[in-house]
Amino acid sequence: MEGMIAIWQRDVMKFFKDRARLFGSMTMPILLLIVFGVGMGGSMESLMQNVAGGDLDFNYVAFIFPGIVSMTLLMTSVFSSLSIIQDRDFGYMREILVSPVSRVSIALGKMLGSATVAVMQGLLLFLLMPVLGVTIDLVSFFVLLPVMFLLACAFASLGLLIASVISSTQAFQLVVNAIVMPMIFLSGALFPLNNMPAWIDVLVTLNPVTYGVDLMKHIMIDVDQLSREVYVEMGLDLDFFGIPVTPLGEVLFIIGFTAVLIVLATLSFSRANR
Amino acid sequence: MIEVKELRKSFKSLEAVKGSSFTVEEGEIFGFLGPNGAGKSTTINILSTMLKLTSGEVKINGYDVTKEKNKVRESIGIIFQENTLDEKLTAKENLMLHCKLYRVPKKSRKARIDEVLAIVDLTDNLNQTVEKFSGGMKRRLEIARGLLHYPKVLFLDEPSVGLDPQTRAHIWEYILKLKEKENMTMFLTTHYLDEAEISDRIAIMDHGEIIALDTPKRLKAQLGGDVIELQTTDNQAALEEINEKFSVIEATLHEEGITLKVKNSDEFVSTFMKQLETPVTGLDIRKPTLNDVFLSMTGREIRD
Ligand SMILES: Nc1ncnc2c1ncn2[C@@H]1O[C@H](COP(=O)(O)OP(=O)(O)OP(=O)(O)O)[C@@H](O)[C@H]1O
Ligand SMILES: [Mg+2]
Repeated sequence: MEGMIAIWQRDVMKFFKDRARLFGSMTMPILLLIVFGVGMGGSMESLMQNVAGGDLDFNYVAFIFPGIVSMTLLMTSVFSSLSIIQDRDFGYMREILVSPVSRVSIALGKMLGSATVAVMQGLLLFLLMPVLGVTIDLVSFFVLLPVMFLLACAFASLGLLIASVISSTQAFQLVVNAIVMPMIFLSGALFPLNNMPAWIDVLVTLNPVTYGVDLMKHIMIDVDQLSREVYVEMGLDLDFFGIPVTPLGEVLFIIGFTAVLIVLATLSFSRANR
Repeated sequence: MIEVKELRKSFKSLEAVKGSSFTVEEGEIFGFLGPNGAGKSTTINILSTMLKLTSGEVKINGYDVTKEKNKVRESIGIIFQENTLDEKLTAKENLMLHCKLYRVPKKSRKARIDEVLAIVDLTDNLNQTVEKFSGGMKRRLEIARGLLHYPKVLFLDEPSVGLDPQTRAHIWEYILKLKEKENMTMFLTTHYLDEAEISDRIAIMDHGEIIALDTPKRLKAQLGGDVIELQTTDNQAALEEINEKFSVIEATLHEEGITLKVKNSDEFVSTFMKQLETPVTGLDIRKPTLNDVFLSMTGREIRD
């Protein structure tokens, strides 16, 4: 247990020592907020006016914001797992692997480290809320935090598994881009995914990011106040192969996803010697 | 404490360890001496669970290295040949992490960190980032870290590479004291001859095979005499002359001159100097070293 916490703490500690990383990774989400939120906002808002048939208090940025936060969580936690490859290159991984800390604790410690860093990055985006005209009440915020952390753990375990089987930084980046980008686009994080071809629908349904984004949207947006048409049009009525999706179901799906990946990563650490 | 039976390790077609067997008793210092690529690190990595063996059986502290990895890991400490410090962290942070990974009791952490840092003379660098350390300082910190949790068995893979002789002697003095206090078993690899002499017993390794295993004293005694380093104006001619006129155990010609092995150097030299016709330019009598042992067994120097 203490070994796991030590490994966790180390990655968080190193994050604070590396300021460039902190700010470098904020440009992308901010850019996307501008492009999708402000740029597309106008047309999406008038579209929704038509759907709802009348005047409507609708802020598209409020829909995009949870998506962008999820995306930041995904990118940061997956990329933080790059630390495993660096640890290997600089030899520190051997110090960890030769210690009596159990392999599960190593995997969990690494996951928690990446997840914590990602949540901190995600929370930084909340500082932009006043500028964007997005609000959140305190209760929702405290419901949101554990959800964000769970999501970040899921994404971190994905990064962990990728890093545990790939040996070079370059290859890691390629693989991550090939996996992470589609996961973002097929999740409804940036735009609603309605009327997609069936095969894309399957991918969207199997994508854990879909449920993470959906959870975040349901917590952050006052959905009760939306008309049924807007609710559907914004892709908030998800179903899992015909079964309506519930928040609990979404949480379980994400936990299941994380558990499977952690088991696989642990197995990979059991074989590793570097 | 360490039992190794018929240990083999192959990397694809290359056989790095070719069936070595040995045991190390509790509290013993066991040395592995051999040239580059002999298979020293490979052996140490297998013994410390970091590498899978191809065949054979290895037990550390009674635990099997393939079946009871975690028990083995709890029993050992290792100082790797390569740097395994986290250079972005400070010395203290590195040591504290190690304490946590090895479950050093909370109460004794601070005292131990101070103790090991004093041993390697880095007390003043406690809060400095390792990145800013010199090569030798990093190595010293690494040694300090390995001592931190008082392991039952301590593996040291070329521990003092890059350290000056004074620092080496100083650190060894403390390691030996700590060893006595905690009754540690130590397994070290090296190609420094004087360092190997610290060992109670030495295995000499070459091309993946243990070619000799004994106490340093007996290994040298096996040579059965003293060593004379000789330089002459014409070494080739001198060698022929020696083989003709004198009874020596062994005479080998090398770049710098001739190495002679003789039973009794005092007796030999007095007659030798009178009777040799090739002019002598330099003569040096010394007791045999482990390098001479290696030389006589393989015909090569340990460091060539
Ligand atoms: N991971 C590996 N893959 C392939 N070959 C390896 C590997 N590790 C070591 N070897 C080979 O095994 C042999 C023994 O290497 P080892 O590192 O054990 O030597 P050593 O005695 O420690 O040498 P040195 O004094 O240079 O540290 C060498 O020929 C080396 O090339
Ligand atoms: Mg070596």
